[in-house]
Amino acid sequence: MFKTYVKAAWRNLINKKWHSLLNIGGLAIGMAATLLIGMWVYDELSYNTQFKNHSTIAQVMQSQNLSDEISTSSNVSWLLAPELRNTYGDHFKHVVTATFNQNILFTVGDTQVRRRGNFMEAGVADMLSLNMLLGDKDALQDPNSILISKSTAEILFGDENPLEKDIQLGSRTFLKVAGVYEDLPENSSFSNLTYIGSWKFLFDAQGYEERLGWGNNWFQTFVQVQDGADMAAVSALIKDAKLDQIRIEDNPYILNNKPAIQLHPMKKWRLYSKFENGIAVGGRIDRVWLLGVIGFFILLLACINFMNLSTARSLKRAKEVGIRKTIGSIKRQLVLQFLSESFLIVIVAFTISMILALAGLSVFNELTNKSIQIPWADPLFWFAIVIFIALTGFISGSYPAFYLSSFNPANVLKGTITSKQGASRLRKALVVVQFTISIMLIIGTISIFRQVQHAKNRPLGYNKEGMLYVSMNNSDLISKFEAIREELLTSPSIKDVAASDVLATGTFTTNSGFTWKGKDPNFSDEFNTLRATHGYGDMIDWEIKEGRDFSREFKSDSLAFILNETAVTYMGLEEPIGEYIQWGDNGKYKVIGVAKDMVTRSPYGSVAPMIFVLHYGNFLNFINIKIKANSNTQNAIAHIQGVFEKYNPQTPFSYSFLDEDFAEYFEEEVRTGKLVSFFAILAILISCLGIFGLSAFVVEQRTKEIGVRKILGASVFSLWKMLSKDFLILVGISSGIAVPLGYHYMNQWIQDYTYSATLSWWIFAAAICIALTITILTISFQTIKASIVNPVKSLRAE
Amino acid sequence: MLLQLNNIYKWVNSGGQRVFLLKDINLNVNEGEFISVMGPSGSGKSTLLNVIGMLDGFDEGEYNFLDESVHNLKEKHRATLYKQYIGFVFQAYHLIDELTVYENLEMPLLYKKMKGTERKALVADALDRFNIVGKKDLFPTQLSGGQQQLVGIARALITNPKLILADEPTGNLNSKQGEEIMDLFKQLNQEGVTIIQVTHSEKNAAYGSRIVNLLDGRKV
Repeated sequence: MFKTYVKAAWRNLINKKWHSLLNIGGLAIGMAATLLIGMWVYDELSYNTQFKNHSTIAQVMQSQNLSDEISTSSNVSWLLAPELRNTYGDHFKHVVTATFNQNILFTVGDTQVRRRGNFMEAGVADMLSLNMLLGDKDALQDPNSILISKSTAEILFGDENPLEKDIQLGSRTFLKVAGVYEDLPENSSFSNLTYIGSWKFLFDAQGYEERLGWGNNWFQTFVQVQDGADMAAVSALIKDAKLDQIRIEDNPYILNNKPAIQLHPMKKWRLYSKFENGIAVGGRIDRVWLLGVIGFFILLLACINFMNLSTARSLKRAKEVGIRKTIGSIKRQLVLQFLSESFLIVIVAFTISMILALAGLSVFNELTNKSIQIPWADPLFWFAIVIFIALTGFISGSYPAFYLSSFNPANVLKGTITSKQGASRLRKALVVVQFTISIMLIIGTISIFRQVQHAKNRPLGYNKEGMLYVSMNNSDLISKFEAIREELLTSPSIKDVAASDVLATGTFTTNSGFTWKGKDPNFSDEFNTLRATHGYGDMIDWEIKEGRDFSREFKSDSLAFILNETAVTYMGLEEPIGEYIQWGDNGKYKVIGVAKDMVTRSPYGSVAPMIFVLHYGNFLNFINIKIKANSNTQNAIAHIQGVFEKYNPQTPFSYSFLDEDFAEYFEEEVRTGKLVSFFAILAILISCLGIFGLSAFVVEQRTKEIGVRKILGASVFSLWKMLSKDFLILVGISSGIAVPLGYHYMNQWIQDYTYSATLSWWIFAAAICIALTITILTISFQTIKASIVNPVKSLRAE
Repeated sequence: MLLQLNNIYKWVNSGGQRVFLLKDINLNVNEGEFISVMGPSGSGKSTLLNVIGMLDGFDEGEYNFLDESVHNLKEKHRATLYKQYIGFVFQAYHLIDELTVYENLEMPLLYKKMKGTERKALVADALDRFNIVGKKDLFPTQLSGGQQQLVGIARALITNPKLILADEPTGNLNSKQGEEIMDLFKQLNQEGVTIIQVTHSEKNAAYGSRIVNLLDGRKV
């Protein structure tokens, strides 16, 4: 029985080539898009799950009251780990202090390469279940040792055995390779861990014990709780781990910040890393939802096409239903038949969609910045595929199946059955759903790109034109800064040179513990700080609103501040120039100038209160160079390279333009925008396939009417208008639904950005125009074709 | 007694008025009869045939088929009943275009859930009996009208029904083909199959043993 169903269905497909092409093509595109999104969502959800201990690993987070806001970050003091071990040790398997991921130059013989990694305590090897290819997990106990990943080992040592060999890190440090581990998974938070240096080594070499206290939140701490322990309970238990120590030390600055400690479980690192009021409220999970919903909708669109085209063709199938019923089929058997037919189509469509997905995977990976591969060997994947096919087959096949099988045989065989009102109304409703989704996606696309453009056009208050910088990862270099500067300035193309601790595109360093006249003693202050040498402000074209810039003529400027306008308001200073500000133990600084606000962090965000400090020596990380406008950039860079190779021969020269750094702010948004527009185009394409088929059907149904009208004198244009009108009304209704919905969601989205573009009316108008234009183009193919047919022909066929 | 219709009424409501399709029909059919239903267009012939074939319901009256009260049965039971005892032949043949002659004949047997070997035997018998063995792999559109109707009758007979309902079986055929089909009906009737046919043609009606005349839904 089943065989004959499939046979009949197959012949049906072959005979109605156009119809099948629309049906299967639309479904295949929809399924391919959903497959890709499904793999993306899976990739996101499975982030970090490859670690054997992923359910017991956590990162220690610290929440502090800063500027009347609770801000939470992973930055903690090195003192936290020993404290956790001493007081709460029973609850943890491992407590590991680590530096932040850093890029270090490795030298072995003539081979030099930069690698990213961390210095960590020895417990990390066991915590992350490192797969040691060579050497021992416990090797990090020896302070002079380093573990390297397989990829690092291959680059540095080729085929040689790296064990016990020395690596030069930076300019002076030598560590011995004590082990090689398999590279950590791409979709994990430790994918950049290509070396693990010994924390103990760094600790001793840098003299952290003497230099750093509870106030220096320079490190991160990872823990692994005991198997079976309740993570939330442990997290609650250690809440005051720092505060208790601060009370003993009686440090008023830190006490004011009310530091609270909590555990952030590994399974939440990726998707729930946005903290509000000290609680993880979400983050990337929003994007997972967004894409998941889009994927579902695209599949729904494709299923709707299938339903619409099947019911539209129902008159043709009705006869078959009548015959089968008189021969003895009962309704259930017919339902089964039509369902198996739709399953056949879905399976064919799925096969094509797999080919499409394979073909589109590289583009998709580029769009999403991922390296997703189809997990052929994973049984879970195949299980999901079966569910996916079943779901799609059922959604798309159920309505036609139940609708068609309900025909009364006597009526259909007599030929008196006409297309039921209900069915055509449902078809219209489904078309409205399709266009509502499509229009909303268009609105989303335009809004996202507009927001990006808006932020790109934001007046920054400084000039990054012709600015490039060289990182100084070598403390020798900073001592030679003056000499380097002099030599750089010998080139006529170079306008100025200044060193700074952070870049103008990202002033992330914050400091607190400032006291000024009229400050509320309970107010915990926090400022962005930027340390730089003379001439930095001039170089970036800042605007001094009051007072003056730092000057080489005033030796006292080493104890001077320049504030930005926001800082003046933040401190509530009426007459800022000449005020004195106490900065913890660093001394008393005089305010000598006020600079106009500059956007030195995210261009979407607000401007933070900021203090500029004149500074030479340690802490300076970048040498900023401004190339004169209209001069030859290539020559200038060649000159710069020459100078740096002279003063820093062991490090390969590398530089970046400030413009490139700035562009990184838009990467994520541009990526989201591209993704949404990619799927918007797919959604429109699928919807168009649907109305293309539907318009063909409508035209076919009205052939006789068109013929009669033509004989009575209707022009081609009036016929086109008559046939198009119905569809345009549907698009109109869709617009009516999509605009308020789109406004609502985009408004919500835009709330995340402090500096945001308003949602202008033209965004919605444009979306509607696009939808209308595409609809007219699609249906006109059919309507015009029908309108120009010789009426004698269409009427004779009757 | 094969079937019995008592005071059957069927109507539709149109513009607030009740329009009768069948009005007070009483009909007894014995096994082995060959009845011709005649009447002008719209007199209710096809409706009557559909009611007898259980393809269509009625609004009032009683219908007994082999001692079963059809008016009290659910769709599923009605389907089992007519699947077993009734075969249909249509003016427009109504073969399934996507299936071959062989598969069209096999279809009713599949719905009766018959086993494969048995099915093969019955289909082979039917092909043989109607001399269409050579056409078994052709699709309906590749056959002439007469041949299609032959397949239609073969399909109606393959389940060995007690009753054949034929709605103008020769309406789409030329006179020679029509005669052949009527001869076939006559022969089947002589073999014991009860036949009820709807026809416009006096000549075809003469093949039957009894004529029922309808006018505006009434027996006259």
